[in-house]
Amino acid sequence: MKLTDEEKRILDGERGEPMQKAMEMLATLGEIYGAEKTVPINSAHVAGLSLKSHGLAGADWAEDMAKAGARVCVPTTMNVIGVDRSRDLGLPKDWCHNQMRIEDAYECMGCFGTSSCVPYYTGVLPRFGESIAWSESSAVVFTNSVLGARDNREGGPSALAAGLIGRTPLYGFHLDENRRGDILFKVTAKLEDTADYGALGAYVGKIVGTKVPVFDGILNPCIEDLVYLGAALASSGSVAMFHAVGVTPEAPTVAAAFGGKKYDTVLITDKEIAAGKRQLTSAADPKVDYVAIGCPHFTLRQIRDVAMLLRGKKVHKDVTFWIHTNVAIKGLATQLGYRKIIEDAGAVLTQDLCTVLSIPEALGFKTLATSSPKMAFYAPGGNNLMTWYGSDKQCVDAAVRGYWDN
Amino acid sequence: MSIILKGRPISKGYAEGEALLCHEPIGFNFGMDVETGTVIEHNHELMNKSIKDKILVFPNGKGSTGGSYVVYQLAKSKTAPAAIINVLTETIIAVGAIMGGIPVVDKLDQDPYAVIADGDFVKVDATKGIVEVFKRGENK
Repeated sequence: MKLTDEEKRILDGERGEPMQKAMEMLATLGEIYGAEKTVPINSAHVAGLSLKSHGLAGADWAEDMAKAGARVCVPTTMNVIGVDRSRDLGLPKDWCHNQMRIEDAYECMGCFGTSSCVPYYTGVLPRFGESIAWSESSAVVFTNSVLGARDNREGGPSALAAGLIGRTPLYGFHLDENRRGDILFKVTAKLEDTADYGALGAYVGKIVGTKVPVFDGILNPCIEDLVYLGAALASSGSVAMFHAVGVTPEAPTVAAAFGGKKYDTVLITDKEIAAGKRQLTSAADPKVDYVAIGCPHFTLRQIRDVAMLLRGKKVHKDVTFWIHTNVAIKGLATQLGYRKIIEDAGAVLTQDLCTVLSIPEALGFKTLATSSPKMAFYAPGGNNLMTWYGSDKQCVDAAVRGYWDN
Repeated sequence: MSIILKGRPISKGYAEGEALLCHEPIGFNFGMDVETGTVIEHNHELMNKSIKDKILVFPNGKGSTGGSYVVYQLAKSKTAPAAIINVLTETIIAVGAIMGGIPVVDKLDQDPYAVIADGDFVKVDATKGIVEVFKRGENK
């Protein structure tokens, strides 16, 4: 990879050790993946900030970087963490302490402590065609597919390195030729809510792996549908980008989505959506003691819809019900009265954290119900919680009744 | 007689050990018990199996981008694979392995699943991109 004079000086250590390490990482990635050069970025997003992912080794690493003077030079947002900074949810104190060490280290490096997996709602909104260096698998898919920005599936540390240098190696999804579709999924299934889109993503992600799926037949989805589709594609698979014909900006037609490439066609009927839902269901016991939704973080629309479902009802005494969002959307939901409806019903609107990146399992829960495909995918292994998967309405019903009605 | 394969160096270093083959992608974040190096992803091919000190062969990484930190944690906890052989290494695995000093090669000149079997003894020189395979029962 051809380095600029400035990059050579950084690599020689003229700008200090953290910058040198960051440049080494970008240069190595550029060499491996055949980048000719780096390109400037306007933003970065760092994921993997939970203590679960970082561990104490990662916390030490982040603190060392901050102490050595690492400072980002482009807007760099931070992903979800494992605690809610506005309240005590009863999580172990030492765990919260070490989690905040990580949060503080990255904030010290100049990152925005937005603590959300949907930074495009609350921090930085990339424009069409712009190169960025974001991690957070669901956000990578969203920015590439729905916004038409250009992003690889960055690991947390490479996103941070790009934020420090302000550039990223030019390879992968930054290049036109890698953004074209590989397989056509012809959708005749009726997709009614985000849970259906999540099931579609879970089913297709497992089939396509690292390839780019093209969906034909997805009609007038709302943004949340596409966020949940992408989140599922990127957890059951390694998907960085999808096209939806007539919906996403680089796919006005099937032909445009494939750009002349040959492709196979797979049919998606109601049967495949049902199979996707089965893939995301691991529970057998109908008794539910934990309901958690909002992974990725809920938007105002989703919070309003759940508040309307909860209005006048009470969460069952044996159930804990968490609805995950970030501090910005929680603020709006508070101002508009949705939070009061939710909390009057006995549910909790959390900020900063999500189930997957926190340790609700420390509170002794056994069985989870969720409408979030990403959570349903990770919770059995990552949280040791067997999981029911369905719509927001099914989750609210389970929270009120204390059991899942299959 | 050993079999020599050539590939692309991803993360430099040398390691040797027993091969463990996995035919499906591996997601490290939330998919791995760091203390033991055991796979905990529900319904995964390697569920409840340990990857510690193995020459781990898998197609590519998947899932959460926090996986880089988990690969680094495995290295620091001494529960990481001795080396990794991928069909195609993605950035998430590459970054974590480089930080943690785990040797990684990909794009071998022969299909690793056709040449390597579980329990074979494998030497990985990830600096040169050379993999040497000793079939089970052969002299190393």
